[in-house]
Formats: sequence, structure tokens, C-alpha cells
Amino acid sequence: MKWFDERYDFSDLRGFAKKKFVPAHKHDIWYYTGGAALFLFKMQFVTGMVLAFYYVPYFEQAHKSIIEIVTKLNMGWFFRSLHHWGAQFAIGILFIHLFGTLLLKSYRKPREMLWFSGFILLGFSIFFGLSGYFLLWDERAFAAVRVATGGLSALPVIGETIKAFLRGGIDVTGETLIRFYAFHVCVLPMAFLGLVVLHLFLVQHHGISVPLSQEGKKLKQVPFFPNVVYKDLMFWLVLLGIVVTFATLLPPEIGIKADPLAPPPENVKPEWYFLFLFQTLKLFPGDLYGLNGEVVAVLLVTAAILFFFLIPFFDRKSQQGLRSPVFTAIGVAYLAYFVIMTLVGYFS
Amino acid sequence: MKLNYSLVTRRTFLNTLFGGWIASFFLGSLYAVWRGAFPTLGKEPDFVVLPKPADYLDIPTNSTKAFAWGGKLGYIFKRSDNTVVALKGVCSHMECNIVYKPADRKFYCPCHKGWFDEYGKNIEGPPPKPLEFFEYRVEDNKLIVFKKGIKVELPKA
Repeated sequence: MKWFDERYDFSDLRGFAKKKFVPAHKHDIWYYTGGAALFLFKMQFVTGMVLAFYYVPYFEQAHKSIIEIVTKLNMGWFFRSLHHWGAQFAIGILFIHLFGTLLLKSYRKPREMLWFSGFILLGFSIFFGLSGYFLLWDERAFAAVRVATGGLSALPVIGETIKAFLRGGIDVTGETLIRFYAFHVCVLPMAFLGLVVLHLFLVQHHGISVPLSQEGKKLKQVPFFPNVVYKDLMFWLVLLGIVVTFATLLPPEIGIKADPLAPPPENVKPEWYFLFLFQTLKLFPGDLYGLNGEVVAVLLVTAAILFFFLIPFFDRKSQQGLRSPVFTAIGVAYLAYFVIMTLVGYFS
Repeated sequence: MKLNYSLVTRRTFLNTLFGGWIASFFLGSLYAVWRGAFPTLGKEPDFVVLPKPADYLDIPTNSTKAFAWGGKLGYIFKRSDNTVVALKGVCSHMECNIVYKPADRKFYCPCHKGWFDEYGKNIEGPPPKPLEFFEYRVEDNKLIVFKKGIKVELPKA
């Protein structure tokens, strides 16, 4: 330790750890969702690295190489399963983190940048998910990517360009697989890491947000180290236990190898975090009072997501530190739509 | 007229010079990266040539046979009234492959539950447009399927 101390002055860091306090109040459980997501993403990075040693990102071998990972490799089944379940839980916790932030209005001034960076991180995570399960190159993944990229092309002006860029051509082919592999293991992790650093830096800079209802009260300040860190670690350990249990007992299935000329399996469904979009698309008839229902659906979804993204700008009241019941209602409406449509999609 | 002082300070000059240099460097790089990352686009075929026409045209009534229309799915389809047509087997909604349901005499898209009738008309669910039909002819014991309005001339063997 002395050796290091002579080469770098750690007293700053020690001082920082000593001085950092986190307020305690009845909503402080939400503070742990961000850390839990961070933990799961660390796990995704490690399990992903192991899988990347063996996966072959070429359309003729991709499907087979995953079967070999889970059947022939030491612990291969475990890492693949852990990577799968880690992703499910990570995205699940991110949604909880998102809606918690939304309903507690932690996006209000001066934390708008935290909201934006977090929102983009969720977008990245969903793209991580889509590109990840496409790597399986099975029937379901193939249909999902066709729909996801095809749906984007309904956007006016930029739609076709985005579609071609993502697909690497006019169709979903082996080119798309290579592209999605590059996104999944290189582009997204790099961008993600950078944005996480920004997100965490901003949390440090502003300190954690205190909900409006607790503002002005005399709150107990708990030292970040060790109290909060230990609680974080406890939560992470429990989470690890849950994810490993799921990974061991419920290894994810691998569908039939994708065939561009075969129809998708009956009642094909995307991953659960796309179900609310999937249900929405099913709701819109092809002809909507003379308009193209597909375009209307895609535009409405885009507008709803954009509104959600820009909510810190629209919610004037909470910007001024006032209660903002209208935006609580909007938040609850978004949450209800997401939950109900996901359930309808799941059980239909 | 001679000015006693320069209108542009040395600092402004240098900031503009280097700022401009950095901005053009990044814009140029970004453009180059975009050009490199954007794929060369192929094109959907105007026609395909299939061997053994009988395999496609002599299918049972009320059934389909798949063929490759470039990277996409195509169907030769014999309707219940025995007319034979060629069509693209791709849903007009989100580009999933469709499948023919002989019992209902309809095409069905499993992705978002879209339905098309025998004539390719979108009758139920989200598809916004009818299916795309092709034309075909038999020449030199080959089945040529082509887009409407395209003239196909095979090289003489």
C-alpha cells in the first residue's frame, strides 16, 4: 500500500469516500436499481467475452456454433444461459429504474442529462438484446429482425436509409448477421461504456436526487461507504443468486435454424421487452380511415417515445420544484400501457 | 487607408484556423466513416429463371410451391379455380414470410396476424397493401417469373 501511496496520492479518493453521504428516506429503495443494473451489465460483459471466444458470426455456422457451445464446451451451457438470463434481468431492472425515475421525477432540473443519458442507455440495451438474440440465427430471431428493421422503414424520409444500414443490404441476410455481431460485441459495448461513465459521473456531480415529497424535510444522511455500498453488494449477491438459479434451471431454447424462404413459426413472438410494441402493431388495421395503418402506427409509437424522452422539458412544474400531478398521471399511463400490453402479448 | 490596428486579433485568427481545421477534420472523417459503414445495396431481381416448369405449374389445386425470388420468398400458387399465379410471399406489413392456408383459402402472416385472400387482397389485420404479383411464362422448358412490365429475353443457347 505504501508503495502505491508513494506513486499516487490516494488521500483524495479516501476523502471522497468519507465525505460522500446518501440521504435516507422511504423511497430510497429506488436508489439500488441503478447499481443492480450496473452489476448485471458487468456480468454481461464477462459472460459475453467467454461466449465470443467460441461463437462463429457466419450464417452457415452461427447456429451450429451455439449448439456446440452448449453441448461440447466446458461450462458453455452455463455461460450461454447466464448471458441470456443476465440480459433479461438487466433489461427488466432498467425498466424498473426508468419508471422509478419517471414517477419520482428525478429527471427535474438539474438532472435532465441524467435522464437523457439513461434513456439512451436503455435504447442501447434493447438494441443489445435484439442484436444478441439475432446471433442465434434461428427462425424466431430472423423474423424479429425482419420486423424490427422493416418497421423502421415505415418512418418517413430516413426510414429506408436506417433499414439498409442496419441490414447491410436490402434483405436480412448473412450480411446482417455480421453487422449485428459487430454492433453487439464492439459498437454497442464501447458506446455503452462511455455513456455509463457519463451517467455515473453526473450522479456523482449532482448527488443522488431526492424525491419532491421528501425535499425540504430533514433527512438522515447515511455514509456511502460502507453503509450504502454494503447494501448494494447485498442486493447484487441476491440478484446473482436469482440469475444463476434461473440460468441453471431454465436454460433458454435454441429454435430451428433460420431459413429466409420459410414462413416464421405459428404464433411467433419477440422477446418480452418488445411485446408492447408488437401488440401495438397488431392493433392497427392496414387501412385507417384511408391512411396507411402501418405508417400511422410507427409514427405514433415514435412520437410517444420521443415525448417520453423529452419529458424533462415538458414537465414545467416539477422543474420549478412544484408537485406535478399531470405528469404523474402521464407516467402512470405509460407504465400501465407498457405492463398491460406486455401481459396481453405474453398471454395471447 | 491604413488601419492602426488589425480588425482580427492574433487569437481570433488562430482560433478560427485551428477550429476550422478540427471541425473539417471531424466532419470529413464522419462522412468517410458513414460512407464506409453504409452497405452497397443490392437490388431485388427483375426476373428469376426456374428449371423444370412442371414442378411448379402442375401442383395440386389450392396449394403453393415456394421459390427463391432473390433473397426473398416467392410462391407459385394454384387457386381453387385452377388458375396459376406467381407472387411474392412477403407480407406487405413488416416483411415477414406469409404462408398459404388451404382450408381457409387465404394467405396468412404469423407475425402480426395479417390475412390476404386468394387474389392477394389484404382483408384482415395490419397489412396496409395487397400482395405483389408477378407474371410468368414458359420458354425452352424453363419457367421465367418476372416483374410486371419487365421484358425478359433469355440468351439463345
